[in-house]
Amino acid sequence: MELIRIENGQKHYQLEKAEIPALEGINLVISPGERVCLMGPSGSGKSTLLNIIGCVDTLSEGRIVIAGNDASSLKDAQLSEFRNRTMGFVFQTFNLIPVLSVFENVEYPLLLQRVPKTERGARVMELLERVGLKDFHRRGPERLSGGQRQREAIARALVTRPRLVIADEPTAALDHATGKAIMELMVEMNYSAGSTLVFATHDPAVARYAGRLLTMTDGRIVEDREVA
Amino acid sequence: MKNIVMAWRSILRHGRRTIVTVSALVLGLAGLVVFQGFLGQMMQGFRDGMILSGIGHLQVAANAKYFVDGEFNPFPYSLADSKALSDSLAREPGVMAVFPSTGFVAVAGIGDKSATLLVKAYPPDRMYFSSGSGVVTPPSDKFNLGALVAGAGLKTEDRDKLVVGEIAARVLGAKVGDVLTLMAILPGGNLEGRDFTVSGIFSSPGKDKSFAYTDYATASSFIRMPQPPVLIVLARNIASVPRIAQSLPAGLAHRTWRDLATLFVQVSSIIGSFLTVIRLIILLVTLFILANSMNRSVLERMREWGTLRAIGTKKRDILSLILWEGGLQGLLGALAGTALGFIISWIIDASGGLSYHSGAQSYAVMVRPGLDSVWLSVIPAVLTAGLAALVPGIRAIRLTPSRCLREA
Repeated sequence: MELIRIENGQKHYQLEKAEIPALEGINLVISPGERVCLMGPSGSGKSTLLNIIGCVDTLSEGRIVIAGNDASSLKDAQLSEFRNRTMGFVFQTFNLIPVLSVFENVEYPLLLQRVPKTERGARVMELLERVGLKDFHRRGPERLSGGQRQREAIARALVTRPRLVIADEPTAALDHATGKAIMELMVEMNYSAGSTLVFATHDPAVARYAGRLLTMTDGRIVEDREVA
Repeated sequence: MKNIVMAWRSILRHGRRTIVTVSALVLGLAGLVVFQGFLGQMMQGFRDGMILSGIGHLQVAANAKYFVDGEFNPFPYSLADSKALSDSLAREPGVMAVFPSTGFVAVAGIGDKSATLLVKAYPPDRMYFSSGSGVVTPPSDKFNLGALVAGAGLKTEDRDKLVVGEIAARVLGAKVGDVLTLMAILPGGNLEGRDFTVSGIFSSPGKDKSFAYTDYATASSFIRMPQPPVLIVLARNIASVPRIAQSLPAGLAHRTWRDLATLFVQVSSIIGSFLTVIRLIILLVTLFILANSMNRSVLERMREWGTLRAIGTKKRDILSLILWEGGLQGLLGALAGTALGFIISWIIDASGGLSYHSGAQSYAVMVRPGLDSVWLSVIPAVLTAGLAALVPGIRAIRLTPSRCLREA
């Protein structure tokens, strides 16, 4: 049983005439329900690998299969729908839509799925209650603190009940205490939703929330181990 | 629907940029609306002026050839039973007045001087000569034949009197009260002569040199033509003219004001083209300003596009969002510009309009833009704004979500 399979994944970026390797020989299998942390220094390929897993970027060579779908065979519109139904994203800088309220930001992925209004409202409010933002649902994101924004982003990521949650440096823009609270919330909600969590960090304290640690250097996975 | 809401909030969120962007459109369209309102009224005045200069809204003759060569040679074109036709036409809805007209060429002499005159004749109560100075408002049920420089116009009971053009009077050395002898050649080569007293001298551009006016009854007896060659119809409004024309008995020929006022039709067409060019220039300027602004906006919001794409928004929805932003800015600018134009027009109107002078007299021109200004502004502006947003929109969706997120 596997959720993600990457076979001989390669990613190169073209910088003028030079070809810059970002990922080299990635072979990876992630099972449903796993909490996987990508660790490594800046430029080691963590974000690139997360982008590939999140289907917001494509491999230059190799193959990635997610939930039985070969991502490279999907057209752009199909990929959009696939991301919407299968994945949730949490970004380092929250990436909330500034013109939407807290409620609307969380509701947005459900609108794309054409979920009926009453069901949307119920699901959004339930998640906002769980992340402690129920009383702030009419506010704009700019009137929230950093921690509140990230909680809102987590609610948006989980509202579609995705099989896979991808978080790129989810605590990097937060202070230590808030970051810890965010990770605990993310792990708890991920556990209760039964989804798979793949996140990147270079903070060992954050990496402790993972069940599996992948260490990356120069675009390669140099270590893959279970953590207690 | 969500895209419209998001687009609307986005343009409100970037209020300053929106104001700067749409201000070109607002000012341009406001100016255009005022200008169009002014020109519209000028053209309406020009049209009505031409109609009341002797054309009428509709002319009815026995034969179409009258309109080719019959104005001053009416003899072959006698309109039989004109009284019955006149009464019947006068009963038609929308008809304000029906009256006969004729014209002839005569040699006028006084002392040792002579000149050829083109004499037009109407019932005296349908002839108006303005006099005095200041703002003039000519009546709408009479022909406005010029401004009196001496003497008086014709009264209902006046017979054998003439109002002569200023230059013709100067050539003849005629003054008010002088008697002119008019000689006209009638069918069969008969020469007819009669004395006419100069009642007044008028000025009217293009007619001063050779025109003179007399009452219809005098003209009719002088040229021995009991039936007029033509009936002139004045309508209550322009729109009723085609219907009045349709009500004419079969076998008669007619010409509407539009057929006869060829100068107006030509000038109107030139002004229409001129306005189109100005409108295109305004839209072109808007296109560049808006395209530049939208381009900046799209580049500054890479994170937003990347995030929307990552969470499942399709390319076409992002393009639609950007097009809505452009279109709404166009709509906002067009509505604000049109509203501003109407407000400025109203202020100009309330303060008495714009005036132009003709000799000692002046005419007030109101600025009254028509409702067509609204859609003529709004629809092209929205389409132009949408077009301006198209290139930045395509640019945004051509980037991969990861690149948008990376470059944010």
